[in-house]
Amino acid sequence: MKIYPFWKGRSKSDSRGSIEDSLRRERFFRRLRPYAYLAPALTSMAVLSFLPIAYTVYVAFTDMSLYRFDKYNFIGLGNLVELFAGPFSKVFLPVFTWTVVFAALTTILNYSLGLFLAILLNNPHLKESNVYRAVLIIPWALPGTIAILSWTGVLNVSFGPVNTFLKMMGLTPIPWLTNPLWAKISILLVNLWLGYPFMMSACLGGLQSISAELYEAADIDGASSWQKFRYVTFPLLMRFSVPLLISTFAYNFNNFGMVFLLTGGGPPRLDTSFAGTTDIMATFGYKLTLQFYRYGLAGMMSMVMFLIVGTLTLIQMKLTNAFAEVD
Amino acid sequence: MTDSARCERAQGDTGIIQGGPLPKDLREKRTDQKLTRRKAVLREKRRLRTFEVVGLWLTRSILWVVMLASLFPTAWVVTASFQKGDVFFSNTLIPRQFTVENYAKVIRETDFLRWVKNSLILCTGSALIQVFLTATAAYGFSRFRFRGRKYGLMTLLLLQMFPASMALVAIYTMLARLNLLDNLYAFMFVMAGGSAFNIWITKGYMDSLPRELDEAAMVDGATHWQVFRYVILPLARPMLIVIFLWSFMGTYSEFMLSSAVLKNPHNYTIALGLQRFILNQFAARWTLFSAASLMASLPVVVIWMFLQKYVVSGLTRGAVKG
Repeated sequence: MKIYPFWKGRSKSDSRGSIEDSLRRERFFRRLRPYAYLAPALTSMAVLSFLPIAYTVYVAFTDMSLYRFDKYNFIGLGNLVELFAGPFSKVFLPVFTWTVVFAALTTILNYSLGLFLAILLNNPHLKESNVYRAVLIIPWALPGTIAILSWTGVLNVSFGPVNTFLKMMGLTPIPWLTNPLWAKISILLVNLWLGYPFMMSACLGGLQSISAELYEAADIDGASSWQKFRYVTFPLLMRFSVPLLISTFAYNFNNFGMVFLLTGGGPPRLDTSFAGTTDIMATFGYKLTLQFYRYGLAGMMSMVMFLIVGTLTLIQMKLTNAFAEVD
Repeated sequence: MTDSARCERAQGDTGIIQGGPLPKDLREKRTDQKLTRRKAVLREKRRLRTFEVVGLWLTRSILWVVMLASLFPTAWVVTASFQKGDVFFSNTLIPRQFTVENYAKVIRETDFLRWVKNSLILCTGSALIQVFLTATAAYGFSRFRFRGRKYGLMTLLLLQMFPASMALVAIYTMLARLNLLDNLYAFMFVMAGGSAFNIWITKGYMDSLPRELDEAAMVDGATHWQVFRYVILPLARPMLIVIFLWSFMGTYSEFMLSSAVLKNPHNYTIALGLQRFILNQFAARWTLFSAASLMASLPVVVIWMFLQKYVVSGLTRGAVKG
């Protein structure tokens, strides 16, 4: 028997059997057809995203670990209590704080520099603006992993070029990746270097989409250039910046590669061996699973992360009206 | 033509159109006014000019400083790669002796070429699968009405916010059970997993393609598949190229999953190989590392620069509609 190619739909040669038959068949398969187009993507998502998520959620409510891999117990929200109020909170809470601080600071820094450069580049008298743009955008074009790995060399304490330069200027070298505070600054710096080109491009696109008529109208009303920025540019910029800021925050909240490849979470903390001073939740969870085999705790932590990032995404979708026209 | 001249001509024009012949005294008065106004315009113009020129040069100098700071690490890697010896001990940014020895060494002494090959297989394969999954699903979401359409994509997008680092354990266990760890081709499918974000943005792009084209094709007797294959796919090509590149570059830089799954040095990708390279030979062979990372980055940078316009415009077109 020939299989009816329902993903293809009705074709001219498809007129075998009685008309009622073919109509009924057509009606049935018409309902199925959209799912046929979705099936490949949905199957791969189910296997690679949803099953793992379901598994992790399941594990989050157990005390599964290396020693209790088969004989685990259900402990309800025990892991959540452990993370925020139990003995483990001493390890977890600093990581949690740093994750939020890192994501917030890096978003603000990247956005500020990106916007600042975009405003400079948007100057109509700057004829060679495109050249500058092409140069400034280079960090975005480099493969991130390789760039971060190279930065570990650039910031190397003894022979890195940054410290060599500081020594040449007669300043004391900075313990970039070995001192807890400087390691955090390094992460923010490198992330700024990697992230500002994207922000710059996005802001430039936004600035150029603001109609020139608005500025002409402001000119007629005798607005100063600051007033033009304050009352024309800024409000319009905010409209597309808020979603941009939220998504950047959410992205950096999970920015595993940045921390893991630059500092590996180090330098180590004195009070615990579970996490280093620069560990964010993503790298901490990775270590908890692959080094310390605390599956239950790691699962619960990923749910906390998911709740935060998911809420932000939901807010962003509402703000951008992303699904307004889906009906 | 200068601004003031243009301005003057515009004024003259309107004078002719509106005024017509004027009484003589009025005309003289008007010429007087015009003269003073022109003076005022010129004065203001000169003042604005100096102000603007200062601003322009300030802008330029700031941009130059930022560009220098931004290029500094890249420049160091480039010079280090041409430096003799293993460590970069020089006080200057320009090496005293140029040598391409490092590049030759990378190819001769490390598995660099194997890493490149693995990365290319992995990235191309998974990007192609990704494009296929994205195109079909986006077509489904864009052109059909069905149950679960409204909230389906939103749910998918939200669910994929789940941190990838946490899906790691489950994926690892799954691959281990199936005895597919350390298998480059199995890993290709893992990296190609459908992305709700890609589907969403491609759907936005397809929504912007006029539906009349589909209908015209349908009237001519085309099936849904033919509409997809011969109408939508060619028109959506810019967006699909963007998806291909994103996917390619994402896999090229991927580290977390590959470090957990690919254990055999035989299967290392570029990112993995380079990371192990500095980890193993700690700080000893930075010149080699620099040469290797430059060679690894160059193709991606070239592709990226070439297609950057595509990427940005594709992104905005998809996003604006989405």
